[in-house]
Amino acid sequence: MTTAESTLRAEAPRATASARQGFHREGRAAYLFLAPSLLFFCIFLILPFLFAVVLAFSDWGGFDLGTIEWAGLKNFSDVLRFDGTFVKPILVNTLLFAFGSVALATIGSVLVAYCIDRLSFQGFWRVLYFLPVVATVVAIGNVWKMMYQPAGLINGILNKLGANSIGFLSDANYALPAVTVVHAWASIGGAVLILTAGLKSIPEMYYEAAEVDGANTWRMFWQITLPLLRPSLLFVLITQFIGGLQSFALIIVMTTDGGPVNATNVAAFEMYQQAFKFGAWGTASAMAMVLFVVILVITLLQLYVARRRGEETS
Amino acid sequence: MRMTQGIRLAVVLGLLASGTACSGGEGASGDGKVQLTLLSHYGSHPAKDGLDKMLEQWNKENPDIQVKSEVVKFDDLLTTLTVRQTGGRGADIVSAYGLWGGQLQKANVLAKVPDDVAKGINSKYSPAALGAVTTGGTLLGYPTELNTYGLFYNKKILAAAGVTKPPATWAELQETAKKVAKRDAKGNVQVEGLSLIQDGDNKSAHPFLSLLDSAGGTFLGPDGKAQFDNAQGKSALRLEADLAAAKATDPSISPVKQFRSGGVAMAIQAGWWVGSLKTQMAGKYSDVGVAPIPGPTAGSKGSLAYGFFMGVNQRSKHSEEAWKFLAWLNDHQTDSGVTGMGQYLADMGLIPPRTADAATLKKSLKDPNLVPIYDAAEYAMPEPNMPGAYEAKTALHNSIMTVLSDGKSPDEALAQAAKAVKPQ
Repeated sequence: MTTAESTLRAEAPRATASARQGFHREGRAAYLFLAPSLLFFCIFLILPFLFAVVLAFSDWGGFDLGTIEWAGLKNFSDVLRFDGTFVKPILVNTLLFAFGSVALATIGSVLVAYCIDRLSFQGFWRVLYFLPVVATVVAIGNVWKMMYQPAGLINGILNKLGANSIGFLSDANYALPAVTVVHAWASIGGAVLILTAGLKSIPEMYYEAAEVDGANTWRMFWQITLPLLRPSLLFVLITQFIGGLQSFALIIVMTTDGGPVNATNVAAFEMYQQAFKFGAWGTASAMAMVLFVVILVITLLQLYVARRRGEETS
Repeated sequence: MRMTQGIRLAVVLGLLASGTACSGGEGASGDGKVQLTLLSHYGSHPAKDGLDKMLEQWNKENPDIQVKSEVVKFDDLLTTLTVRQTGGRGADIVSAYGLWGGQLQKANVLAKVPDDVAKGINSKYSPAALGAVTTGGTLLGYPTELNTYGLFYNKKILAAAGVTKPPATWAELQETAKKVAKRDAKGNVQVEGLSLIQDGDNKSAHPFLSLLDSAGGTFLGPDGKAQFDNAQGKSALRLEADLAAAKATDPSISPVKQFRSGGVAMAIQAGWWVGSLKTQMAGKYSDVGVAPIPGPTAGSKGSLAYGFFMGVNQRSKHSEEAWKFLAWLNDHQTDSGVTGMGQYLADMGLIPPRTADAATLKKSLKDPNLVPIYDAAEYAMPEPNMPGAYEAKTALHNSIMTVLSDGKSPDEALAQAAKAVKPQ
């Protein structure tokens, strides 16, 4: 072994130790910078979530934290009873409301984004469609509520066309579709914005080549636009679906109590009622856990399907 | 393991939070003055003005015990109460709806009414008022607002159909409702015969419970078990089903909006509506009549009584001062020979819950429509308020709506509602 080699070997552990020290220093600094965000995350997300998990297995009437009592799986057995109201109609309504509004909003937003992409004054059109997103749910809900009234605009049009009036918000058969349409309408703006950005990222040369090959607009839409828009579509689908499953503000504004006869009652609204109206915080938390699992499963399914097709969210 | 640690952490932090959540109101200031807070829903005219006037008088006469009013809308009252109490910022004195009483009592929100105060209240207030603010034999506080239900009707609409006096039996009620109901060719309601819903919480429950009372039935037993799934309950709901099938009642019509414009001929509503209609209808108020809610046979009648109360927060550091203030608020006499609270409630068109106040004010009632409302306090069924009563009422409302909106069988609907009642 040469002198140089032995010197190098002797210095190597020192260099490693020094690098480790530097890494630790950097790590500490990184955690220090992350601390405010981590603290925020812990206080407003992790802690409430853990508290909700504890409550889901407890009996608590609210007000006094000292009165929390262990209830085991009772809340879950109450909530998941098939002769109760949570599974059917409430959870079924939640899924129908979310699926319905996502389907309508996605189809609508793809069409609108595709049209806007081919129009002049695109900024103006995007702003126009984005306005419902900016408007408050209370305003949107009340305007649509008035339009749905027996003497409202929509029934007025139906009457002019010779049809009888429909109790859009008072007939249990129409109430859920009626609020689903409004939720979809209000969600289109945000989706249009994302999809327009997705459309802009599709290289023009694909359309030029397809045109040279004689493809018509319809074929170009199906075979170029839609496949290349999938990452944006996946993002829109997942975020809209989660939003749809958690949403209930619009339902409160339009129906007040999730009626008629629970026809528009959804899981998030029922949780709110159980907790703040009936003081059944354990039941409300168990419902929250069930909804959490439902959202998780559906989101994982969406991701799994998208990944099998080789797509990722953008 | 990590999950367990997380749960422990949450519980520890929760308990720490509960440690901080042990004070009520703003407490005493350095100069020995006590500042009490009073949370209520009396935030709009005339309720706010009347309460502020009484507080002003108290604060002037009692410089060492100052009371500050905090108001929210009724729809936000329970949520505000819950959030503030859990967060350790509950008011010293709370004004609450009697129906929430059991829930508040179970959660240790309310302080026990001192024996001498309870004795005074029990001897001076009407049975309906006491019943609406007593849970399982425990008085929750001073009864304040008391509402009973009556049959409101539009004299002009009834007269145009040849009906000269309000219905006195269910048969007459059905006949009149069907006679006056009108729809256009497209099925739009022009005049609803009898409104069986109200705005606000549990729309259909109170009118049904009033009819149930008129048939001699009850809602919940003292143990919180359903008592309405019987012959009386079925007959009352069959009456509603018959009116819905005949299109004489329509739950999509809001009586609060339509009655004043002649869109509703009759409605089962609470007494507070008198004051509202007076303001909204102005000169046309003379068209309004109020009668007792008829029962199935001649001479029978029924109503529901619900009330509010003012109680002291169990966490208040100044409960003695709070009770002292409440005693004054509810007992102090005015020049008109009634208590300040009684006059305040009467000015809003509400029934004073104190028997002597009601008797005195009834003698000088300028509005004859208030007479059946006052009378109903003597026979109305007090709204039950044990823990679980609110949920039971919501279940009942949902079942009634299946009859009114979907045409479901009344017997099945009542059985379903009874099954959903969970005594606690």
